[in-house]
Amino acid sequence: MVATTAASAFFPVPSPDSVAKPTKSGNGPTNLGMLKSKSSSGALQGKANAQAPRKINGTSVGLATLPVVVKDEGSRPSTAPRTFINTLPDWSMLLAAITTVFLAAEKQWMMLDWKPKRPDVLVDPFGLGRIVQDGLVYTQNFSIRSYEIGADRTASIDTLMNHLQETALNHVKSVGLLDDGFGSTPEMYKKNLIWVVTKMEVLVNRYPAWGDVVQVDTWVRGSGKNGMRRDWLVRDCKTGETLTRASSLWVMMNKKTRKLSKMPEEVREEIEPYFLNSAPVVEEDNRRLPKLNDDTADFIRSGLAPRWSDLDVNQHVNNVKYIGWILESAPPEILESHEISALTLEYRRECSKDSVLQSLTAIPGNQDSDLKSCGEVECQHLLRLENGAEIVRGRTDWRPKYSSNCGVAGEVPAESA
Amino acid sequence: MLKLSWNATTDHVKALAQCRFLDAPRPGLLPSRRRAVVSCYPASKAPSLAVVSDGLAWVEPGSGSLADRLRLGSLTEDGLSYKERFIVRCYEVGINKTATVETIANLLQEVGCNHAQSVGFSTDGFATTTTMRKMNLIWVTARMHIEIYKYPAWSDVVEIETWCQGEGRIGTRRDWILKDYANGQVIGRATSKWVMMNQETRRLQKVDDDVRDEYLIFCPRESRLAFPEENNGSLKKIAKLEDTAQYSRLGLIPRRADLDMNQHVNNVTYIGWVLESMPQEIIDSYELQTITLDYRRECQRNDVVDSLSSHEPDENLEAILQLNGTNGSAASPTTEDYRQFLHLLRLSGDGLEINRGRTQWRKKPMR
Repeated sequence: MVATTAASAFFPVPSPDSVAKPTKSGNGPTNLGMLKSKSSSGALQGKANAQAPRKINGTSVGLATLPVVVKDEGSRPSTAPRTFINTLPDWSMLLAAITTVFLAAEKQWMMLDWKPKRPDVLVDPFGLGRIVQDGLVYTQNFSIRSYEIGADRTASIDTLMNHLQETALNHVKSVGLLDDGFGSTPEMYKKNLIWVVTKMEVLVNRYPAWGDVVQVDTWVRGSGKNGMRRDWLVRDCKTGETLTRASSLWVMMNKKTRKLSKMPEEVREEIEPYFLNSAPVVEEDNRRLPKLNDDTADFIRSGLAPRWSDLDVNQHVNNVKYIGWILESAPPEILESHEISALTLEYRRECSKDSVLQSLTAIPGNQDSDLKSCGEVECQHLLRLENGAEIVRGRTDWRPKYSSNCGVAGEVPAESA
Repeated sequence: MLKLSWNATTDHVKALAQCRFLDAPRPGLLPSRRRAVVSCYPASKAPSLAVVSDGLAWVEPGSGSLADRLRLGSLTEDGLSYKERFIVRCYEVGINKTATVETIANLLQEVGCNHAQSVGFSTDGFATTTTMRKMNLIWVTARMHIEIYKYPAWSDVVEIETWCQGEGRIGTRRDWILKDYANGQVIGRATSKWVMMNQETRRLQKVDDDVRDEYLIFCPRESRLAFPEENNGSLKKIAKLEDTAQYSRLGLIPRRADLDMNQHVNNVTYIGWVLESMPQEIIDSYELQTITLDYRRECQRNDVVDSLSSHEPDENLEAILQLNGTNGSAASPTTEDYRQFLHLLRLSGDGLEINRGRTQWRKKPMR
């Protein structure tokens, strides 16, 4: 099981700290009822303006004013009440204080129902992403960078998986839940529970190329009594064509005992409002993944070791690195002539910087045939430590590449005439 | 069920992104663009006359592909340098919660590629001009020098400006300046030296002036250096580390993702390998401030590489400390605050040198 920072739970932390900055608009002391409603939207607007210029890199940036609806991390309610008693009454300060207090209260009351008031305004020229669909779906655009493409000039499977991970984390962060790095809800935190991913399924229709822009949507839904699924949908921004669909399965684990745990009722109550009631984006693949060994594997690559750059902030190996290692033992012919159309991974164990891994691949259907000329090929994979402990089991389905590419290894890509 | 609301996004982006939009062509449109490159004289003209398929044309903001609008980079006003903004993604961040030096190096490469593309050079990753291709010449990196003063964190936005200039008969230099987009502060600088190599013979080759001028028209005429100061680290010679290295990591192998289109190990991988031999104590308490690499030999899929490191005394730092003498206040640097290492990457089998390097480290700031 891998507990990573890419945990996908996302629940607003009921913290009195997350309040809007007081507005500066002194409208004069009107009755509080009207003040509240007027200032809720106005204040939200005001909050947005107070927050805009948008915070980037932790400091304000002078972009065109974007009304931004994000949790104000770490800002505290002003100490106005004490201040304005000591000074001569400054009505705008009074107003600000009252607004602050009211918003804090309102937020507490409406915690579970809180939705962004203007879901369409979280706009980001820098690919930051926004919540749509009543606060349940997070969407973000990525432009494919030159170092993310493979030899055939299309995005590698690692790149795709990186984007999925980025949106999952951003989703969790945008609802204010990334502080401890595990995306745990308050109840989970109390019980020492964290999310771990157990399974990942990815279906790729088409790989984007350098310079393409893709839109990734992600959301969560319940799975059985104790699990949660995070789904993704990746589309080409220009054409709307679906490029990739993916789904991951998450369960809870006790951080201390490292044992799996049922979902406690209190946690269920916290998270259920955030489940999107959607049909699965990927049909669950319940085929059993066999455990390969030295005899059943066709290819083995040993001596794979994590580098410093493979580690996340917790010094665990980032999940996405596993797919790269899995493919280390895939035969080069298949990598040149075919592309992955489907990928299923079962995570068993995490590994650290000191681990040394072995990657095993078996191709059950093909005994003697020339892989290059095959249509679809299925491979089975195992990633394990040298002592035999399993890290990941996998299956990949491959189809022939159709786009023009380098073809033969070592050949310089011919310039288009 | 899921509303397609990306239209709203792009409209907003169009309105808000503060860059001009270029019609960067896709691979495949290159031929006509290349002809346009040679025939137009962009340097002193209005920069929006970017290279487009029919020769000179105004590029209106809002036209051009979606990728161009969302790509936050463009030639600067005078057309002599290129600026682009990047956001740091979560998977590009390392154990320090900040971008890794490999991420920085990747971004430098990305902006270099985008610059080359925006002025009409090939997009096959080689940034070659027409004549170079006719003569079978490609660029290879000879030296890379990166200094980072402040590492960006996840979701920070970095603005990188890059330009290139000729250097000698066969060389060209590409420089970068990295800024924190939020406050304009310079967070890093980099410079690299490139030479022309014949793709067939794999030998360095001198070229005529008109071949050089083909790309130099896009470069500033007066010397513009990311490292204008004298005696800067980017020019210092790097000695070859002898066998008695203090630290080593043997048996490094290229991964699939390390190989470029030509099945050679890409430049950024070497940075990772150089750092592999650094001991845990250094990685835990220090952060990389400077890395200089001299590239000597290429490396391929089946090669096995050894990474060696040794502490290198820094004469400059020691001189400063001597001057400070007994005045050592808490503010002045001590030898503990900075460390310097010499590196060597070589093939495991025959010991042939692949590259050599120097790194400087500073104590991690309190976070």
